[in-house]
Amino acid sequence: MARLILENLHKSFNGEAVVKNINLTIEPGEFVALLGPSGCGKSTILRMLAGFEPVSDGQVTHGEICLSSNKHHVATEDRNFGMVFQSYALWPHMSVKDNVGYPLKVQKIKSDERDRRIQEALEIVQLEEYADRLPAQLSGGQRQRVALARSLVTEPDVVLFDEPLANLDRHLRAKMEETFRAFHKRTGATIVYVTHDQSEAMSLADRIAVLNKGELVQWGTPQALYATPKNTWLANFIGRGSVLKVSEIAPQQYVNSTDLHDLIKRYSSEQVFSSVLVRPQDIRFVPADAFSIIVTVDNCIFRGERYDIELTLEDGQKLLTYSDVPMTINSPHHIRLEQAWSLESES
Amino acid sequence: MTMKKTLLICAAALAFPLSVQAQDVLTLYTSQPNKDAQMTVDAFEAANPNIKVEWVRDGTTKLMTKLRAELSSGVVKPDVLLIADSVTMESMVSDGYLEAYLSPNRTKYEDSLYSDKGYYYGTKLITTGIVHHKKAPQSPTDWSDFIKPAYKNQVAMPSPLYSGAALIHLATLTDEKTLGWNYYEQLHTNQVKAQGGNGGVLKAVASGTKPYGVIVDFLAIREAAKGSPIEFVFPKTGVSMVTEPVAIMKGAKNKAAAKRFVDFLLSQEGQQLVLEQGYLPARGDIGVPAGFPKREEIRLMPFDAAKTLENNEANKARFSKIFEG
Amino acid sequence: MTPSLIKARFIDGPSMDSQLRWLSIGLFVLIATLSVVPSLRLLVEALSQVTLSASSPLAEVLRSERTWIALKNSFYTSGLGTLIAVVLGCGFGFVTTLTNIRGRAVWVFCFMLPMMIPPQVTALSWLQLFGPASPILNTFGIAPTLGSPQPMYSAEGIALLLGIQSAPLVYLALRTQLIALPQDLLEAAQLAKASPFRVWVDIIVPLCRSAIVAGAALAFVSSLGNFGIPAMLGIPAGYIVLPTLIYQQMAGFGNDMLSQVASLSMIIALLVLAGMLLQQWLQQRSRYALLGHTAKSISFRLQRWRLPLELLLAVILCFILVAPLFALIVSSLVPALGMPLTLDTLTFSAFHEMISRQGVTKRAFENSVFLAFVSAFVLMVVSLPLGYLLMRLPMRTRAVIASLIEVPYAIPGIVLAIAFILLFAKPLPFIEISLYGTLGIIFLAYLSCFLSVCLKPVLSAMSQLDPVLEEAAQLAGARPLKRLVDIILPLTAPAFFAGGLLVFLISINELTVSALLWSAGNETLGVLIFNLDESGDSVLASAIAVLVVMLVAGLMSLLSLCAPRLPKGVIPWHD
Repeated sequence: MARLILENLHKSFNGEAVVKNINLTIEPGEFVALLGPSGCGKSTILRMLAGFEPVSDGQVTHGEICLSSNKHHVATEDRNFGMVFQSYALWPHMSVKDNVGYPLKVQKIKSDERDRRIQEALEIVQLEEYADRLPAQLSGGQRQRVALARSLVTEPDVVLFDEPLANLDRHLRAKMEETFRAFHKRTGATIVYVTHDQSEAMSLADRIAVLNKGELVQWGTPQALYATPKNTWLANFIGRGSVLKVSEIAPQQYVNSTDLHDLIKRYSSEQVFSSVLVRPQDIRFVPADAFSIIVTVDNCIFRGERYDIELTLEDGQKLLTYSDVPMTINSPHHIRLEQAWSLESES
Repeated sequence: MTMKKTLLICAAALAFPLSVQAQDVLTLYTSQPNKDAQMTVDAFEAANPNIKVEWVRDGTTKLMTKLRAELSSGVVKPDVLLIADSVTMESMVSDGYLEAYLSPNRTKYEDSLYSDKGYYYGTKLITTGIVHHKKAPQSPTDWSDFIKPAYKNQVAMPSPLYSGAALIHLATLTDEKTLGWNYYEQLHTNQVKAQGGNGGVLKAVASGTKPYGVIVDFLAIREAAKGSPIEFVFPKTGVSMVTEPVAIMKGAKNKAAAKRFVDFLLSQEGQQLVLEQGYLPARGDIGVPAGFPKREEIRLMPFDAAKTLENNEANKARFSKIFEG
Repeated sequence: MTPSLIKARFIDGPSMDSQLRWLSIGLFVLIATLSVVPSLRLLVEALSQVTLSASSPLAEVLRSERTWIALKNSFYTSGLGTLIAVVLGCGFGFVTTLTNIRGRAVWVFCFMLPMMIPPQVTALSWLQLFGPASPILNTFGIAPTLGSPQPMYSAEGIALLLGIQSAPLVYLALRTQLIALPQDLLEAAQLAKASPFRVWVDIIVPLCRSAIVAGAALAFVSSLGNFGIPAMLGIPAGYIVLPTLIYQQMAGFGNDMLSQVASLSMIIALLVLAGMLLQQWLQQRSRYALLGHTAKSISFRLQRWRLPLELLLAVILCFILVAPLFALIVSSLVPALGMPLTLDTLTFSAFHEMISRQGVTKRAFENSVFLAFVSAFVLMVVSLPLGYLLMRLPMRTRAVIASLIEVPYAIPGIVLAIAFILLFAKPLPFIEISLYGTLGIIFLAYLSCFLSVCLKPVLSAMSQLDPVLEEAAQLAGARPLKRLVDIILPLTAPAFFAGGLLVFLISINELTVSALLWSAGNETLGVLIFNLDESGDSVLASAIAVLVVMLVAGLMSLLSLCAPRLPKGVIPWHD
């Protein structure tokens, strides 16, 4: 097992840069998600890792081996990577067994050994009894599990996932996420997982690289991204919460309740301002006092276990919080903000 | 790379059987119909057992195209040519491709049938006359019938633009005082339809799509003999003709055998063969084949090969102007 | 899951792997030899006598008004012919592939056969059918009088026959795409309440456009180079097209004939290049990859339309197959041309003579079947890597190479033959083997001529293949050759077989190329039939033509027997 290092990675198509200066060090056995909106360059990075695309500049190394640089390129077939595609990419003319066993056949593994490993892989994804079916006879979730079995059968060092759940319904997604987690635990392979769905990334990954417009915005654990996002864009992208404009303050620090209220009261639209992130659970409804902030209920939406409450401040800014009971629209209330995180402005 | 190699091996394998050659080999390019060519070759080989003839047969146009292409790449493949007409031979002479040979047998022939320097010798007379379907309402007897209203849109003829023999026919008729270019203009007004060649005319007449036609004698006479519902007529004014000349190529590999071949075709035996095949022999003292009138009754219209070659482009242009206007 | 469509991705080749490099070099040499060298040789010939004077052959050709008339006419007849071929081929394709019509295998089988009947026979049979001697019209007493005008002798008549001849080209190119359309596409559209007509217009036609365009391009190019049909129908009408004009040059006695012919062919080549650009443009706008799995193929229920459609197909087949074939058989059973067929005149002497005589018949059958088989096989083998490599090239480069491959097919066969004589009349340098006068040269000329025929359906199928299927195999560690054989070949197999089948059907009675290249002992069927016909032995020629149709029908039936062992869909007339 070895480290996967992306160094100053750069890619452009016809002179247009789609991946700019990416640096990531992925530890052996780590589950990493590349997260970002569509067009952010995450799939291109995955294709460079797989070796489908050459890099324009920078390099990718795996342990001691340089996989890609602008002088050198190890072909995909020599990388011993596995991959699970969004469209499954199962070969329609081969049975489930043949699909899974094809990588072994290419490696010229003897047939009894091959059968054993196919059996094992199908067991992991619980498809033993479907071995002789054709892909066309399977459901979407089953197809994805076949693809998973195929990607793990050669015990690859790195397995790449390209939006593997995008074509599945919500119910199936939760189940497949569980399968992926079990798969990671059992194989211990390094996983690079591309997705545009932040909750998927948060629940699966050890670390997440958030990308926007080809650039790395932040690289850290899900907890760190949630609690201490770098800028307003990321704050809006990850988790739920409200970004408030307040009077000027240094970025990347926690602001306590007293300071925060002060910053809010001092804010006016003519001044230089800063942005802070307020998570819904950090807002309390309180009796009116000199310290509290006055808000109006804008909307109240039932979410099952609780209500989402949308509030408007006196200066028109919006806030999101939760409540266990429904609240009357347009009713005035007093709140206290427990804490907030100050953000960099979006470049 | 392996692909290329395989191809070469394949090609070599295909080429191999023919690279083995024995005996004295004579290569003949001819435009005679398959069956006749085979007969000619068989008879010649029987008379000259030590010579083996390899022959290529095709219509004169294609054969000459093939020959011109070969000559253009600097190779002389045939030793002898036996093709339809003397105009083509004249053009070969003027380009310096033919070898002169004075055959001792030439004395039995009229002067007009061979080139005086001995470049080529006519071997038979293939005349162009009139054919009609047996059920056709009219019985044409002369060229001038075809411009009568009763024949409007009912006549087929080979196009001079596609057939050398038809071009010679055109040159002969336009030189005839009583016909001339005026005749061709009237043919067009009378909606005479040009076909690709004599075969096309035969089909059109025999199948009844055009009841009358202009055609070479032997095609119509032979087919009629087999029972086809058609009849050939030698027009009163006369017939045009091609002479199916034989010639030796300059640079022929086997000149001795080539001369033997020329002599053979001009010999009594060779001319008898022509008769058997159903053609009018070039030598006057041999009879006429079945289905032909007596030799004296066939009027041959005069024709000058060298002059025809000279007027060739002008004739074609004028014809196409009239018919493709 | 609803299959969605994704715009095909371009793989701009990463640094090439060594297998790919060698493959590319090999194929580059092959294309250079087969396509570029013959075309270049003609270009050299066209330019050979160019001097500053205005009387050079090229200048003369360009100045001549008839050249431009022929060009315009060629464009018109080929264009209209292509349109007819597309209507016929697509009509047959949609009906026999997408509906629950009865006896579909039989229809397809019959639709392949008109290609085998020489177009002259079809034209003649129609002329007879609607002419003064027509047995049918005479029975009803409505036959035209002897010598009435024939509408077939016209540009439209030429186009009609060209269209019928090339309809199977469109059909086979289209079919490979149709059988790849999954049923859920149709179901999804039906759920959206689309009528069958809307489904056809909005879903099926757009998805098949690439294949239809490929087939149309084949039909156009093949019509452009066709000599037999315009010679038969155009000459009587005084209507010239480029191939007949070329033949006129040959029939002249001029010594610069070769350069004039070459110059005219270059005009055809230019026309082809223009056509290819159009094709590229049309296909560029219709490149969809079908997501990598096919469920059941689409099938419409025809209900009350089934019988009328079946009748329509039957009528069309009567005209393009039954009538000509019947005429052919009749003319092979009489003693001489034009005699009526009665119990008294009926004779098998033509068959007897051709089968027993000389051995030339046997030889011609052997040669043609051998050439057709080997050409089809070699071209199928070549098309796989060639199509694969072409798909990896950038659009423009691909367009250029595809056009170069197209040129030898488009120029009339006789001109291609001239190029091969010019190239091969002398023994090959270094190895001192002479291909000239052997079957080898015909074989090479066939490869050169028909490469594009085989490649077209293959390219069209490959462009519809989802690239992730190959990427998945790459991740499995498979090198390019292994990927070709294990993944790409099985998924595009119907297209390969269609390509090979087309080459086989076209070359089995090919005439114009072999007409100049054959030599004693190396006769082909086309040459044999033509020589007999030209010598006035049209009864014998008909007998051979009947035997050829029987042979092809027999071989096609044999293939049906092998169908269970071949991948699904490769034999068009087998479900």
